[in-house]
Amino acid sequence: MKTAIEIRQNFVDGKISAVEIVTQYLERIKKYDSELNAFLAVFNERALEKAKALDAKREKGEPLGKLAGVPIAIKDNILIEGQLCTCASKMLENYKAPYSATVARLLEEEDAILIGKTNMDEFAMGGSGTHSAFGPTKNPYDLTCSPGGSSSGSAAAVSADLCPIALGSDTGGSIRQPAALTGIVGFKPTYGRVSRYGLVAFGSSLDQIGPFTHSVKDVALMMEVLGKHCEHDSTSLNTTPIRYLEEIESSLEGKRIGVPWHFLEELNGEVKDNFEESIEKLKSLGAEVIDVDLDILKYGVSIYYILSTAEASTNLARFDGIRYGYRTKKAENLESTYRLSRSKGFGWEVKNRILLGTSVLSSSSYEELFAKAQKVRTLLIHKMREAFGKCDCIAIPTAPSTAFALDGMKDPLEEYLQDLYTIGANMAGLPAISVPSGLSAKGKPFGIQFMGPQTHDLEVMRFAYAFESKCPPLSPPQFGAGND
Amino acid sequence: MSLEEEKNSKYLGSLARIELSEDEEKTFNQNLEKILGYMHLLDEVDTQGTLPCTHVLETTTNVMGEDEVGEHLDHETFLKNAPDSVGGMIKVPPVMQAE
Amino acid sequence: MTDIHYENWEPVIGLEVHVQLNTKSKMFSRSLNQFGDEPNTNIDMVNTGQPGTLPILNKQAVKYAIQFGLAVNAEVARTSSFDRKSYFYPDNPRNFQITQFFNPIIRNGTVTCDVDGHTKHVKIVEAHLEDDTGMLKHFSSFAGVDYNRAGTPLLEVVSAPSMHSPKDASAFAMALKAIMQYLGVAECNMDQGGLRMDANISVRPKGDKTLRPKVEIKNMNSFHNMEMAIEAEIRRQIQAYTLNPNEDHAKAIQPGTYRFDLSTRKTVMMRLKEDALDYRYFPEPDLVPITLQEEEIEALKASLPELPHQRYLRYISDLELPADSASVLINDKYTSDFFEEALPIAKNATSLCNWLISEFLGRFKEKGITLKASNLKSENIGKLVRMIEEKVITGRIAKQVADDMLAHPEKNPEEIVKANPNYQPVSDTGVIEPIVDQILKDNPQSIADYKAGRTKAMAFLVGQVMKETKGKASPSVVNDLILKKISS
Repeated sequence: MKTAIEIRQNFVDGKISAVEIVTQYLERIKKYDSELNAFLAVFNERALEKAKALDAKREKGEPLGKLAGVPIAIKDNILIEGQLCTCASKMLENYKAPYSATVARLLEEEDAILIGKTNMDEFAMGGSGTHSAFGPTKNPYDLTCSPGGSSSGSAAAVSADLCPIALGSDTGGSIRQPAALTGIVGFKPTYGRVSRYGLVAFGSSLDQIGPFTHSVKDVALMMEVLGKHCEHDSTSLNTTPIRYLEEIESSLEGKRIGVPWHFLEELNGEVKDNFEESIEKLKSLGAEVIDVDLDILKYGVSIYYILSTAEASTNLARFDGIRYGYRTKKAENLESTYRLSRSKGFGWEVKNRILLGTSVLSSSSYEELFAKAQKVRTLLIHKMREAFGKCDCIAIPTAPSTAFALDGMKDPLEEYLQDLYTIGANMAGLPAISVPSGLSAKGKPFGIQFMGPQTHDLEVMRFAYAFESKCPPLSPPQFGAGND
Repeated sequence: MSLEEEKNSKYLGSLARIELSEDEEKTFNQNLEKILGYMHLLDEVDTQGTLPCTHVLETTTNVMGEDEVGEHLDHETFLKNAPDSVGGMIKVPPVMQAE
Repeated sequence: MTDIHYENWEPVIGLEVHVQLNTKSKMFSRSLNQFGDEPNTNIDMVNTGQPGTLPILNKQAVKYAIQFGLAVNAEVARTSSFDRKSYFYPDNPRNFQITQFFNPIIRNGTVTCDVDGHTKHVKIVEAHLEDDTGMLKHFSSFAGVDYNRAGTPLLEVVSAPSMHSPKDASAFAMALKAIMQYLGVAECNMDQGGLRMDANISVRPKGDKTLRPKVEIKNMNSFHNMEMAIEAEIRRQIQAYTLNPNEDHAKAIQPGTYRFDLSTRKTVMMRLKEDALDYRYFPEPDLVPITLQEEEIEALKASLPELPHQRYLRYISDLELPADSASVLINDKYTSDFFEEALPIAKNATSLCNWLISEFLGRFKEKGITLKASNLKSENIGKLVRMIEEKVITGRIAKQVADDMLAHPEKNPEEIVKANPNYQPVSDTGVIEPIVDQILKDNPQSIADYKAGRTKAMAFLVGQVMKETKGKASPSVVNDLILKKISS
């Protein structure tokens, strides 16, 4: 398994051509993806064309971008001009993107090679990958299990080494949770750090795009490329770019790590053991572990239910069969055009959340639900700020369990509770990363999560990097083990 | 409209232009109570005097663009994704004069 | 048949006026803001609601809103923000509008207007920024949607329910239009939908202070039609209350959203209040708040141009124009600016004003054009008025010259008069005198009447001479001659 940094170095050194790199990965996708169902679209031609052009560039001795030769998969809710962008929904099954997301443009400017669009929970709503209109994605570590979600395809693809890097989106944990469940690194930047222009909106005040990688240094590399101000996004941070790669190596000696032990009270079994082991590793690196009060996080899922569904209900209103997307052939008037197109075009989970969101925003519920949730969000942000007054970074498990069975989640609440430990970072706009921290007895991965104050993306990466260097690399999944 | 009527999937569906099948409606109404209960967990939190969080980046204000004509969507590209068009316009079933 | 005593009722009217701002680009995106182009050619990713797009606020629109607020002595909110307003309609590209519900940028304020010579001060509750919808074109078996207009910046001005007649309402709206034009923030081209009005109407027995249920009439883009619509609705409500004296008020008049049917001249219900949409307003997460500093507001205040009411006061005090004439003059900026340009040449303000708003305006109405469309030059009308002042031509001849000017706007009146011998006034007493003699000879009774004190008889005699000379004789010369002859 090569990291992006290694691939780029090999390419730049002339050890391998871009065409060879891309061909290798395309072959792995061809061989293994029919089982995994991680990809919704594979850019066979486009990727090879870009690779050829890149090889020519190298021939000519032209300067090569930071991601030169690196194949990257993109979650199918991020637009690439001229390519289908389905959000894993029947509603957008045939929708061709008329423009490229800022992130796609930034990646290609640095000579990355976009290799395909990945499967996901429809419109990013879900934590299992089973809510796709095009079939579920499987977890390479256990094909009977879910890889998590909603960035299920991106996580599975990187985990099975069908590509070294993939982009996902995270609204309540949709990058970090699947990263943990598939044994890879997943990073959600500070809100506003990465442009949302070209990301199909779900929870506007919560969404962020971030990378899946095999190493924390690859995250740093990706963030150097993606972490830029965007003039098409009013919520984009306007700060000086950070040289993550240069600054990432740092001792944890004397650094303080906050752990909300009381909030984690109900953690048990292997997940608990693994987390405690990880804390010991951090201590051995010289960090001081402090108890912090984050009991308020127990309200995270409730706030999330209210705010994310409310925002989503309006963000998805534009999908009405009028200007683009699925339009029913059966309607004779406008009202039934709307109703039939939306009822048929959206899957159950999406319809469910839109109705919930509509309910939350209705005039009689606004104060008691929506406004209330916004206020509790404020309190949550304060509590996190207080905690960060005592520590440099918070450590917490990423997910409450390892990968669950594909048909395992019957109770909608259960799936939401998967996000219990990840939601806080979205609520407060904080940078957070999940790093593999071991395998369960059944061989399923665990992840540990580090969160930092807003804009402290580098600090979070430092903790993750130090932890990663203390951990033996995770055994790759059996599935897809064949070539390197 | 009473709270109950407002939570009714038919009313919500009419606002959101979504019609659930009979089975879906059953499931929705069943789950709704549980989900509402979860949302109402927030009732126990004392938010007296707390301002609602409308933006998580508190210090970002006044983001505006210069009033210059810039990026544009090509007419053909726009219509290519349209389910139905006529005379350069998006074609829809006849509409009653409304808003 | 019950007698309906309309005079016992007081109408209560509030207006919501939507004004399209004349920015170059849209409110939240940068495609061209322009009327009349081929459908779906002034569009972009944002204003067509493509997935993944985000709004970026137009700086100029914010500036215009502030300038308006300052012009009406309103409070400019130091912090304001945007909200989503949800409803489904094909001309709504996201099926939510971005508006300002919770924290509008402008609050309170007063618009001064003139109604039949009386000055009225109409209170504004608030004014806010929002984006316009696309346009729906209705055909028999389908409709077509054009998104060129979607995203056009709107400034919505909400008045207090403090107007009491259709004339009040149109005076307010006209004054608002004038303010927008004088500020240069909007053209308010009514035919192009540049200014649209919604009226909220209720009635109550005279003397009553409570408010009864109201009816909303939406989307009127003509002052005249609005007056008719409001009048029709007032009558409908009064009739309803009179014929159903014991009915619950809401039941009697059926509050809701109505539209005015021009052909039947009646208001027609579109949607009952109970069925009113729940717009589910909540703060727009994709836009950050606007925070304004004192210095920038002061700077904008200092640079405000002369406003319509200031100009109105200047016209009646400095120029001594009659109030109602001044009122008509200032209500259209183009006309008023034109007047200012012509004045130094014309030298007589009252006469110039009269020529503009009465003589010429009448001619424009006949032709169905405006002053601007006529291509007439201000110096030419100025010259025409001066020529009358200096008695180079008579008033009567001037009317013919005016017709010629309208037909040939590139020509100036001096050359028109020079070119047409019929326009040269005749002052030569040698020519006039014989005619005067003849008229006096033919009308001995009139001479007697005049001498008896009936001054009208003189006007008659002068008129007869003028008729004989086909209006070319100088009236003052004729007058003097007759007087001389009668008294001798």
